[in-house]
Amino acid sequence: MSTPALAVHDLSVRFKTGADSRHAVDGISFSIDAGEATALVGESGCGKTITALAILGLLPDSGVHVESSAIEINGRDISGLTGSRRREVLGRDIAMIFQNPGTALDPVFTLGRQISAVYARHCGGGKEHIRQKVIESLEAVGFSQPQDIAAAYPHQLSGGMRQLAMIAMATVCKPAVIIADEPTTSLDNSTRAVILQQLERLRTLHQTAILLVSHDLATVRQSCQKVMVMYCGRLLEKTDCESLFSHARHPYSAGLLSCIPQISDTRPAMINSIPGQVPAAGEFPPGCHFAPRCPRVESMCNQSVPALDTDKQQAVACFRPL
Amino acid sequence: MNRRYITRRVLYGIPLILGVTFVSFLLMVYFGPDKTYELLGKNPTTEQISEVRRALGYDRAFLLRYGDYLRELVTLDLGLSDSSGEPVSVILKRTLPVSIALVLPGFILGNLMGLALGLLAAWYRGKWLDKLVMSASVVGMSVSFLVIIIGLQILLCTPYGLNLFPVRGWQVHDLGSYLYYVTVPTLALVLVTLGYNTRFYRAVMVEEIERDHIRTAQAYGASPRELLFRHVLKNSLIPVLTRIMFSVPFVVISGSLLLESYFGIPGIGLVTFNAITSGDQPILKAVVGLTGVLFVLALTVNDMLYSLVDPRVAKP
Repeated sequence: MSTPALAVHDLSVRFKTGADSRHAVDGISFSIDAGEATALVGESGCGKTITALAILGLLPDSGVHVESSAIEINGRDISGLTGSRRREVLGRDIAMIFQNPGTALDPVFTLGRQISAVYARHCGGGKEHIRQKVIESLEAVGFSQPQDIAAAYPHQLSGGMRQLAMIAMATVCKPAVIIADEPTTSLDNSTRAVILQQLERLRTLHQTAILLVSHDLATVRQSCQKVMVMYCGRLLEKTDCESLFSHARHPYSAGLLSCIPQISDTRPAMINSIPGQVPAAGEFPPGCHFAPRCPRVESMCNQSVPALDTDKQQAVACFRPL
Repeated sequence: MNRRYITRRVLYGIPLILGVTFVSFLLMVYFGPDKTYELLGKNPTTEQISEVRRALGYDRAFLLRYGDYLRELVTLDLGLSDSSGEPVSVILKRTLPVSIALVLPGFILGNLMGLALGLLAAWYRGKWLDKLVMSASVVGMSVSFLVIIIGLQILLCTPYGLNLFPVRGWQVHDLGSYLYYVTVPTLALVLVTLGYNTRFYRAVMVEEIERDHIRTAQAYGASPRELLFRHVLKNSLIPVLTRIMFSVPFVVISGSLLLESYFGIPGIGLVTFNAITSGDQPILKAVVGLTGVLFVLALTVNDMLYSLVDPRVAKP
């Protein structure tokens, strides 16, 4: 068995508030192979972005406690790295694409300058070489006039173009892993398709492993092979995309699927939603966190926490799976 | 820089200057000192009054007098001081350089140190260093400037203390004597302004540090030095420049008034102060007018600097 590009073992994030601490992410493990796209889905506020930031080590160091047995990129553990040793990894071995391209880029520097700073930092080389690499990576995400884009400031581009430039920045050092945190949420449908196509192309081209953080299951179905369903800091279901969409086993997954709006001839009678709300960290119920909102709940669910049965192909953390 | 942008800014400045000078002239004519009665003593006759008013030009239409005032400001031919008989332009030429030389070092130091401390506090926000710097700022802001000035004078300028510098005066002819006379006022100015500056700059820096693009730079391995000195500092230049530019006229006129009166330095602040108390209208007219012009100038230069530091202004 080959080494996965990204392997996360037993990652927990706790927020300290006064004397007690609350789990925002509670002991999750997963791995992504090279050239594979895995989605992390769930409602807003269930710990997806925190997971992504914790993998990169970008959470603030005061009031937040991150623990894991290991976070490996191509077999190398990065979880204990600090300071300049960690900065070496960021952008070179693992890169992140952020949700809002409008604010994620520095407004006072040209895109070329920002991308070349990343390349110069990690890969080095002469001025001309760096410029060449920047142009190449902008070209690779589909810009026909990469020189113009490199000379432009973020505010001169549209949201979709900025996100493409962000992808160019993420791929300029050809990292093994890219984490994309809701990369298309703020974009319109056709722009979203372009962004997803480019990500897909780069994934197959460079065999990059992609962790796509999303709450949009339609996007996930289009672009991922595997999917993990997250709720209240835990993984509830972990499987390949096809099985989830054909037969979701966890009631929460099934609930999420039922909420995807359908385009049909007739106007739908009602818009589906999962009743109730995601509880805030620290207010999780004692048993299965989803129990209070679950249509299939029984007494056992309120007492103990079901574990993710990882030995199965379609792993699920539920006492009464579908 | 974009030439059309500059031209537009300069043209915008003209109505502003007209407005500022108009309002200040209006206030001076209707609420300022009236020289008629000073000149005439206790029991003037109606004829005497109207004669003096004619001589002073008070009987002319308001707009004509405003026109004269504008001409005076443009040509810098500002008449003679009532109290000394000296031409106002000569007085300004003599005192303005003194005031600038007096406040410049303290102004620069106070802003640079405030910037450095603000950056430090912002980077370590919430930690003990931040708390230390911020509490010191509050203490600095709370201590009266009188205490600071008199305290420094006692500590540095008298036999009770180190007795290294003069308490008063300004006999500057070379660098050595300049440092001799400027050191204590500079220290006083820095101590008085540092708390305010630090708090302001910290707030600006915290806002910039918490912007999304800083996290992006972090996610791509930028070092703290790069984050602070490239991304944060360049982005914060707009509020920082604005503050500096707008405090220039204030510091030159009123900041120096404080220092000049306590250190007996013959700068424009002291001249203005004396003109206010003696009702020396030609000097007041000149100072008020020039302050207004200086403000508009600072505003215009500030707008031009924007286009240098913010590509969103320069390349819309």
